[in-house]
Amino acid sequence: MKRLFLLFVFMVLQSVAVFAQGCSDAGICSLDSYVHDNETFKNIITISPGYGVGDADVTYLTGALSYTRIVNPKWTLNGRVTYSQADGSFGTRGQFGDAFATAAYTFKQKELSRWIVNFGAKFPFTQSNLKINGFSLPMDYQASLGTFDALAGLNYVYASLSLSASVQYPVVNINKNSYIAEFSGTDDFNTTNLFERKPDALLKAEYNYNTGRFNVRPSALFIYHLGEDTYEDIFGNRQDIYGSEGLTVNGALELTYSADNRNSIELLAATPFVVREERPDGLTRGLVLTISYNYKF
Amino acid sequence: MKKAVFLFACIFTLISCEEEGELTGSLPPVAIDETATPLFEGSFEPTSGINATGKVKIYLENGAHRLDFEDLNVSNGPDLKVYLSTAAYPQQFVNLGNFNANNVYTIPQAVNVSDYSHVLIHCQQYNHLFAYAPLQPIQ
Repeated sequence: MKRLFLLFVFMVLQSVAVFAQGCSDAGICSLDSYVHDNETFKNIITISPGYGVGDADVTYLTGALSYTRIVNPKWTLNGRVTYSQADGSFGTRGQFGDAFATAAYTFKQKELSRWIVNFGAKFPFTQSNLKINGFSLPMDYQASLGTFDALAGLNYVYASLSLSASVQYPVVNINKNSYIAEFSGTDDFNTTNLFERKPDALLKAEYNYNTGRFNVRPSALFIYHLGEDTYEDIFGNRQDIYGSEGLTVNGALELTYSADNRNSIELLAATPFVVREERPDGLTRGLVLTISYNYKF
Repeated sequence: MKKAVFLFACIFTLISCEEEGELTGSLPPVAIDETATPLFEGSFEPTSGINATGKVKIYLENGAHRLDFEDLNVSNGPDLKVYLSTAAYPQQFVNLGNFNANNVYTIPQAVNVSDYSHVLIHCQQYNHLFAYAPLQPIQ
């Protein structure tokens, strides 16, 4: 077990030097695909503090608080609140980002296979126009994308293998970001004045490996951004952000250590193999270190 | 567990901070060069429920058009912008950036200033016009 843990820590440290792109708002990427069979406890609280390195010189302190309710073997409900504080040349700005409400329905198992349907929504806490000292900030400094999103996914589990297909669709855009690059003093970030974002589609393959107190889940994520994002230029005309449509491919590894039947700790590392040419949404991360603590009751 | 959740909430509430950086520091007041030529001027009129007094002038300074406010006071708003517009409301406008009465705004070279009849103070986030100033040429 110790060797396995050390191997994981080594892989996390290896990922430090690699430039990664995170999922779109951590929405569809974290839809529940776990099978909650034979759970003694019906409630799970998860606290997930994290540290990240973004584009240019931006670093992040992040956090998420999540509550999962296992209603019965078929239905699982989840609520989550996220926080993000960005720090860089524009200064430091922190704010609660989004609330997520999701549900998972697990169909009856047939031999080794079963299907899970996920659906839910994302609710932004801000209009993505946080400022510092009256200066508009790029999306990289915003805690939320400023969109109400619908989330939907289909998950097929066969023995230890899990395959997922999901979409994250911005239903209502309340993004009022007013960052205009030519007025900012730097060309590190795209103009995102009145930013409008296109949906994302995700395919994920994951292998679930259990050994004693450890659970290891390597996975591959293919995220396609379905169209060019847009902004309003200084003349009031809407402009496409060329290169913002496209594919992101990530490899990820999650490790869960269960101290007992109530308490567990989860580590996550991810590395990109393919990234989009332009990422105006500010979700780019060069390094993400997240440690989640789960408590069941 | 309750303590951990409470501690988590406290920590992130406490660090919901705003701290300026090298790109967002307070700017010193900028003055128009004495040799600049004044081309247009206008007096601000407030919209309903807004207080606004003061003037705006557009100068030609070293080949660039620059916009300057004089004794301007406008009610506070969440996302006020300075627009050059072809009407007393946002229409075929040029967004010159965030409103700051102490700023001098450089108008982009591609803009033909004489095409615009008004300067607006407009809240972009809530799409609400705060004040407008009809421009008159200075003889």
